[in-house]
Amino acid sequence: MKSCSDSSVSTSRRAFLRTAPALTAAAAMAPTPAIASTGKQQWAMLIDVRKCIGCQACTVSCIQENAVPEGSFRTVVSTYSVKLTDSAQPAGTYVLPRLCNHCDNPPCIPVCPVSATYKREDGIVVVDGDRCVGCAYCVQACPYDARFINHETNKADKCTFCAHRVDVGLLPACVETCVGGARMFGDVNDVEGEFARLLKASQPQLKVLKPELDTAPRVFYIGLDERFSGKVEGGGTLWKPRNLQSSAHG
Amino acid sequence: MNPNIVETLNVAREVAWLPWAVQYFFLIGLSYGAFVLALPGIVFRRPGWDSVSRLALLGALVCGLSAPVALLADLHQPGRFWHFYAYFTPTSWMSWGAFFIPVYLGGLLSFAWLAFRPDLARHAASGGKLARLAGVLAYGGHESRGALKAAALLGLVGAVLVAVYTGAEVAVVRARPLWNTSLLPLQFIVTAFAGAAGLALVFNYFSARNTAVTHTLARVLAASQFLALGIGALWLALGLSGLSATHAQALAEVGPSANWQLSAAWAVAATVLTGVLAWKRPGAGLLIGLLALHSAWMMRWSIFIGGQEVPKTGAGYYSYSLPLGPEGLLGIVGTAGLWVFLFVLITTLLPLERLAAGSPSLAAGSPTKAGA
Repeated sequence: MKSCSDSSVSTSRRAFLRTAPALTAAAAMAPTPAIASTGKQQWAMLIDVRKCIGCQACTVSCIQENAVPEGSFRTVVSTYSVKLTDSAQPAGTYVLPRLCNHCDNPPCIPVCPVSATYKREDGIVVVDGDRCVGCAYCVQACPYDARFINHETNKADKCTFCAHRVDVGLLPACVETCVGGARMFGDVNDVEGEFARLLKASQPQLKVLKPELDTAPRVFYIGLDERFSGKVEGGGTLWKPRNLQSSAHG
Repeated sequence: MNPNIVETLNVAREVAWLPWAVQYFFLIGLSYGAFVLALPGIVFRRPGWDSVSRLALLGALVCGLSAPVALLADLHQPGRFWHFYAYFTPTSWMSWGAFFIPVYLGGLLSFAWLAFRPDLARHAASGGKLARLAGVLAYGGHESRGALKAAALLGLVGAVLVAVYTGAEVAVVRARPLWNTSLLPLQFIVTAFAGAAGLALVFNYFSARNTAVTHTLARVLAASQFLALGIGALWLALGLSGLSATHAQALAEVGPSANWQLSAAWAVAATVLTGVLAWKRPGAGLLIGLLALHSAWMMRWSIFIGGQEVPKTGAGYYSYSLPLGPEGLLGIVGTAGLWVFLFVLITTLLPLERLAAGSPSLAAGSPTKAGA
């Protein structure tokens, strides 16, 4: 129990798997949140776009883990076809995993009229489903299109960094299933931890989405092409989720 | 649009503020606009404004009572509306709005009751439909100028607060550059006044067809249309010149869209036509009234529904098609049905012709049935 709460969640899947048996055993013994309760951790995600293969395993695992209704997504890998000018090939593919950025200065929190959206001590932005009135003001305020109204609960919904898993020492589902090891998750406050060290080492390459908005995202990217860091200028996708094809409202 | 990038896979986020929201912003705008138009004749007894103000107050009442229902319906958890009062959040304009609406409605209802008490008593005495109810509501039918002025002040404070919050609530959303402009609240207010004048013109057409009323309202309408055009021109200038980064960003987001170009051309044409007709042919009461109502509604539809069609991160635009159920067409028709019900109920107690004819306590000398 003690060792679990004191240890940070590892950065990579390999490192994580080495500690998984201990974490699992500890989680089984400790049903109460062991990590978030300390208030010391500040969770963040690092996405190495160069390693993402656009397989959408994260998208699917998130849906499975969080029972996300059909047609809605807490995370997705946006995929773009990009014309190449410096290659024999006419076009290449650019992929960009997207999710709630768990901003340090989240625009979704002040607008919520009933304080249902809040930031936990560990930095994860969550929605109190018992309080949410489903006004969708936070959906409008999020600059990353990360929020939506869940039509099964009629409440605001979004990525929680799989807080229920993190609280028992597990990685978010998307990180755990990432085939290319592109998604990494950890505690930025654990300066000795692998994640914080990796963040520090990658500092010159780190970028966030829409930095001009000063939202201070907790999702960092390596290999983020400037053309995709804001609203993408290009041809729009024709694909729509099945339940949105006949009705724009679920 | 950059032709070198094509989005092949992304999430299309659906519209989260539904047509109910459009109906709310439309109706509450008409209501506070009409409330202000009700003050010159009823409170200040300005010559020539008596009938105008009484018709406007009817519009304020009908729209003001139906608007909150549309707002509640736009919540995905309408049964939790009490959370607004249990968990006040001062950083949220919507939270403030939950308190401003009752202030406004309290003032509006008190003012309307005090203003129409003599009319209710008159209806009770005439023995028409619902005469007994009118008698109960009249509660003696006395005029109380002091109370009337106090209620008008409360209603005016509420109207200003509602006008401010409805504009600010939308304008603070930085995530949507189209909404995040400092001119948007002003545009809401000006079009609300235009719509309110339009509604009063329609009421006048279907009742007394008072020429003086038509001309007074046409003047208000013409002024509002030219003001709306001026603000629109300023918006465009700020966007094109780059003097305002937000306006430039908003213009850049919607400018390339053929749908938005059509909407903009339509809005400008409708505003110019209404303004010119109201100025040069003020007698065209019904036409300019309907045009003004159409412009006020269309402006809100374009801002809310059109604005949500612009992705915040993805490429291109989301496409919206109006669903036929409660979340779409039925919601619009339902709100209209509620409006008609309230109109019929109120005008049964306060017949439209009597309202248009002027206050029973004032000598009504304006010409009627002169062809508006």
